[in-house]
Amino acid sequence: MRALGLDPVHDTRRTFDGLLEAMSRPGTVHAVPAPADHAVVATLVDHEVTLATDDETLRAALSEQGRLTRAPYGEADIVHAREHTDWDVRDCKRGSLTEPSDGATVVYRVETLDDDADGGTTLGLSGPGVDGTTTLSVALPEAELSALAATHSDYPRGVDAIFATEDRVAALPRSVPMEVV
Amino acid sequence: MNDLPTQRSRERVTMTEHTTTDDVLPDEGTPVATDSVDAALESLDSDGLEGYNYAYLDEHTKREVRRSVLKAVAIPGHQVPYASRPMPLARGWGTGGIQASLSILGPEDTFKVIDQGADESINAANIRRLAENTADVPTTTDTTEADLIQSRHRIPEEVLTDEQRLVLQVPITDALRTVDPSDAANRRRHAHKNYGKMWVHLYENVVEYGEIKISSRYPTMVAGRYLMDPSPIPRWDVPKLDHADHLTVLAAGREARLYAVPPHTEVEPLAFDDRQFTVERFPEQACHACGSTDTYLVEVSEEATEDGDNAFETRYACNDASFCAKRRKNPDLPKDHHLEEAVDWGPGTPDAPTDDAGTPVEQGGAGE
Repeated sequence: MRALGLDPVHDTRRTFDGLLEAMSRPGTVHAVPAPADHAVVATLVDHEVTLATDDETLRAALSEQGRLTRAPYGEADIVHAREHTDWDVRDCKRGSLTEPSDGATVVYRVETLDDDADGGTTLGLSGPGVDGTTTLSVALPEAELSALAATHSDYPRGVDAIFATEDRVAALPRSVPMEVV
Repeated sequence: MNDLPTQRSRERVTMTEHTTTDDVLPDEGTPVATDSVDAALESLDSDGLEGYNYAYLDEHTKREVRRSVLKAVAIPGHQVPYASRPMPLARGWGTGGIQASLSILGPEDTFKVIDQGADESINAANIRRLAENTADVPTTTDTTEADLIQSRHRIPEEVLTDEQRLVLQVPITDALRTVDPSDAANRRRHAHKNYGKMWVHLYENVVEYGEIKISSRYPTMVAGRYLMDPSPIPRWDVPKLDHADHLTVLAAGREARLYAVPPHTEVEPLAFDDRQFTVERFPEQACHACGSTDTYLVEVSEEATEDGDNAFETRYACNDASFCAKRRKNPDLPKDHHLEEAVDWGPGTPDAPTDDAGTPVEQGGAGE
C-alpha cells in the first residue's frame, strides 16, 4: 500500500498489532502508523471481503492492487466512515447465529480519542477484555454510539467498531456491554 | 488433442540430434549445463529462503488470518473459520498455531515455542527455527522473556502477564464433538447455546466414576456464552485462562478454525454444584529433579539402574521443562517471581493456601 504511504508488510503488521491489543482490551488506545484509518483498512481489506467507503484515495489504492470489492453500507464486510453521513450503523451486517463472525467491522475515522476527546461521548465499558470497568471517550455524537450499542442487542450477532484518529486506534468489540455516561 | 503426438515426435528428433553432436567426449561423458545445480547449491547457502515474504506467509494469507483473529477476539469462544494454507509441515503438526503466530510476530517480539511443556522437542525446535529464519525474531526458552508463546497442550507454570500473548495449537476445535460427531448439529447447538447434551455426558461420567473423568480438552464456558474446547491442555491449566492477564488465541490448522479468549474474560469449566471441577492430583509426589510439589507432574518410566528385580521404575517430573530448570537452581522460586504483585495462577501457587489445589471432592484417582 505504498500509494497510501504505508509499508505493505511492516506497517500493516504494526497496525494489526495495535488492532489486536485494542480489540482484546476494549477502552485502551494504541499507536499505529498514520493515517490510522487508511492503515486499518489496508491491513484488513482485500478482494475476499467487501468494502463500503466514500474515500477516493483509499478506493484508488485498493483498486490498483485488485483488492477492492465494493458493496453498499448495509451489505459490506468492512465499512469505512470518515464522517458519519446518511447511512445508519444499525443497517450494517450482523452475521447469523451460526456464523456471527459475518457481522461487519465498522472503521470510524474520528478526530480525537480518550484523554483528548473534548466534546466527545464517554462510554462506560465492562465485560470480556475489561478488568472490572473502564471508560472510553470518542469524538462521535451520542446518537451514533447509541446506535452502535443497539447493534449488540442480539449478541453474538453484531457489529464490531474500530475508532481511528490520525495515528491511534481503539476498538469496541460486540462482546462488550457499553453505556453512555 | 492432435498436438500431443507431434510434440512427442519432435522431442524424439531433438534427442537423437543431441547424441550425434561433437559434444560427446569419448571418456568423460556429455558435459551438462549446471545452471540449475548451481542455483540449487546457492539456495542451500541462503537456507532456501530467497523469495519468501517476511514471516513466511504471503500478505494475503496474513490478512485473512488477521481478520479471523480479530473476529475471534470480538466473539470470545466462537470458532471462526479461516483458510488454513498449506505450510511446510503436515496439517495437525501445529500449522494453525504457526499461521496465527507468524501473522502476529514482528521483529521486536521474542518468541517461545513449547511442545507438551518442553522447549527442546523436535516440533517445537523446528517451529522456533522457522520463525527465527523467516520473521527475524529472537527466540527464548524463558517464559518470562517471551512476548509471544506458541504452545502445544500446556500453559506455562510461570504467570503470563498483560504484555504476553499465548497461541495454543488445537487438534479438535469443538468440545461437542465428543457427544455428537455431526459438525452441522453442533454448530446449531452453539448458535442457540444448547449444551444439554454435554451436561448429560458429564452426568453419565459422574454416575459411572463418581466424578467427572475428562483428562484433557475439558469443556469450558467462555464469557458465559460459548462452550469451548480449551485444546488438550490438562485440567491443571484450565483455571489459568479464567480472568487471565494475557490474550489466548487457539488455532487449528487441520480444521481451519480459530478462536480466542481475551484477557480478563470469565472462563468456567463445566461442573455440577455437588461434583465440582477438580485438577489432577499427585498425592505424596514431587518432581524428582527439582522437588516441586506445586507444578503439573508427569510420570516418567525409566530403566532401573541398580535394582535388578524391577526392570523399570516410575518417577515424577515437572512437565514444564524451562520452569523446572529454574527451580533446580532455586527450589523456592514462586511462579509469580517476575511480578511485583502476587498473582493467583492456576492450582497450587505457593503463596496461596495449599489444600491440595483446592479440591473439594474426596474421591481418589490421580488423573488418567
